[in-house]
Amino acid sequence: MMDDIFTHAFAIAVLAAAIRIATPLIFGAIGELVAESSGILNLSIEGTMTVGAFAGFAITGETGSLWLGVAGAVFAGGLMGAIMAFMCATVKVDQIVAGLALNLFGGGLSFFLFRTVFSDQASTGMRNVGVFKVPHFWGLSDIPWVGEIVFSQQWLTYVAFLSVPLVWLFLYKTRYGLELRSVGHNPSACDMRGISVPQKQYFATIFGGMMAGLGGGFLTLSTTGLWFPELISGRGWIALAIVIFGNWRVTWILAGAVFFGFLDGLQLSLQAVGFALPYQLLLALPFVLTVVALVVNRSRSNVPLSLAIPYRRGQR
Amino acid sequence: MTKSQSPDTSTDPLPGQPPTRPLRFGTKWRFEKRLHVGWKSEAVVLVVAILVAVGISGLLIMASGAGVWDSYKALLQGAVGSRRSILESLVQATPLIFTGLAAAVAFRAKVWNIGGEGQFFAGAMGAWWIADAAGNTLPQFLMLPLIVVFGAMAGALWAGIAGFLKARYGTNEIIVTVMMNFIILYILSWLLSGPWQAPEEFYFQTVKMPESTWMPTLFADGRLHWGFVLAIIAAIVVYILERKTPLGFEIRGLGINAVAARFKGISVARTTIVVMLISGALAGMAGMVEVSAIHHRLQLDISIGYGFIGIIIALIGRLHPAGVVATAFAFGALVNGATFMQITTGTPAPLVDVIQGLVLITVLIGAVVVQYRIRRLSHDG
Repeated sequence: MMDDIFTHAFAIAVLAAAIRIATPLIFGAIGELVAESSGILNLSIEGTMTVGAFAGFAITGETGSLWLGVAGAVFAGGLMGAIMAFMCATVKVDQIVAGLALNLFGGGLSFFLFRTVFSDQASTGMRNVGVFKVPHFWGLSDIPWVGEIVFSQQWLTYVAFLSVPLVWLFLYKTRYGLELRSVGHNPSACDMRGISVPQKQYFATIFGGMMAGLGGGFLTLSTTGLWFPELISGRGWIALAIVIFGNWRVTWILAGAVFFGFLDGLQLSLQAVGFALPYQLLLALPFVLTVVALVVNRSRSNVPLSLAIPYRRGQR
Repeated sequence: MTKSQSPDTSTDPLPGQPPTRPLRFGTKWRFEKRLHVGWKSEAVVLVVAILVAVGISGLLIMASGAGVWDSYKALLQGAVGSRRSILESLVQATPLIFTGLAAAVAFRAKVWNIGGEGQFFAGAMGAWWIADAAGNTLPQFLMLPLIVVFGAMAGALWAGIAGFLKARYGTNEIIVTVMMNFIILYILSWLLSGPWQAPEEFYFQTVKMPESTWMPTLFADGRLHWGFVLAIIAAIVVYILERKTPLGFEIRGLGINAVAARFKGISVARTTIVVMLISGALAGMAGMVEVSAIHHRLQLDISIGYGFIGIIIALIGRLHPAGVVATAFAFGALVNGATFMQITTGTPAPLVDVIQGLVLITVLIGAVVVQYRIRRLSHDG
């Protein structure tokens, strides 16, 4: 059995899986980073991913177009983000509660619509709407190791990894990004400077929702081709954990997502070769590490200072 | 409330102090914050919220092609239509009362325990473990209280970790409790895949607890069990604790103003941990009753999200034990009625999740909106 583990094929399978599994986590975590940077703690990523995955599934199922499905996933995620933004930036209800309510609402709505639209297929087994083909890059995909790990991934995986530097550029090198981060730290100062706090928060939360929706869409349209209520199975919460684990820094969030993806890929491959290992412990590690990171980083935390505190003009 | 009773600081600022600017609504109307929201306004908010949620869900039922009236009728009938269904609704409400109280106690102190789901599982594990370990040796009258205590202790312990980390290191309890939910699920999954798995068993589940350790039922018909009575007692205890004891005073003080509470001599760290322990014990008892009265064994799917729904119940019940019990019964009835609705009308049962989510969203928005009033200005202010 040990011989099965110390092989090239095993290493390649684990690393390729790490990148694949990291994809929805990157979408969710990078989107959540932008939302949290504006001071909105959006706990509804799990529900938003569920809704995004369902929208992608339903639209691809009806139209037959995978890319329309992706667009639908992004749009549905954006809608969830918009509801969250309305509740938090306009009405200013408690953000934690708003997120939990949206989780319940999003999960229930997707399941309800799934039963409604696809009830006729329930008897004939689960419907598969198909998945994207893995693109083949001439030359690149044939390179040993690198080709199999990096250049044999789904299109949306490249989108996810590309989104990381783009969001970094946006947050740290543009005026709008600077203003958005300022809103997350000190909304009243921004307000006095004439920066619209709700506008930034709407933008950030809707963007975060679209990214989460895309992450959900990836799971349906690039991996399973299916939708079922437990499809997301905690990935939205892991994305939330990654933002904290990465201490609100883009590079560390990317590293966290890939590391958590690696742990998941490792346990999958170890199980596949029949290695008797309590794989649950590897799966629990991200959550344990996040708690540890929270304790260790407490004195040098980059948490947006006004995170989850609703801003009301003229009140402290 | 009329203006004469409530001097309005937003229009009549004290001399030398800058006025707090109300939101402008054109030039003739403005939004103003009310100083006091009466219970009548709150009742109106609740009714409107329920109507909005039922209305939007009605549109969904229409879209699904089933009859709106028929579906709602079936939902009600399945929930409270007969003695049998009422008893079953109470069965469904029992764990929700516990998790609702768990969230309410913590939120009263502004300690955001989102880990009710994990503490539910911890309590279930504690209860099953003691029943399995000592169930065949100890008599029933000793066993049942022991199960309750172990369930509560396991839940309290699991919540206490987050409470300790917050008190000692100032870590955000929201994040920690969310993470703890997953950690305990993976621990349980591991236990069920080996150490605790029933022998010769393919599925992830334990053996059944000895029958003498099962929570007895209240009536000959139906599944309603003594756990329900325990839940009502817990609600009364929580009420007395919050309103009549020094600890309750500290808990409320912490929730109203932590800084002031500290100046008053209340140890914020100690009270935070105590609140977490109480909250976790209540959530743990939810898991305990589900295992000892309903499932009699541990599985990964013994919760339908009781911990999370408990948070919603606590908020709709305005953190008041009586409100929690009432809301928990309404939610339990919805869950119970949904099955009947799905069977008789074909309307999918997940509609209930949509209704619950929508009620909370509309209650939350309504609770903020009702704090404001729109007033017409007699002159250009």
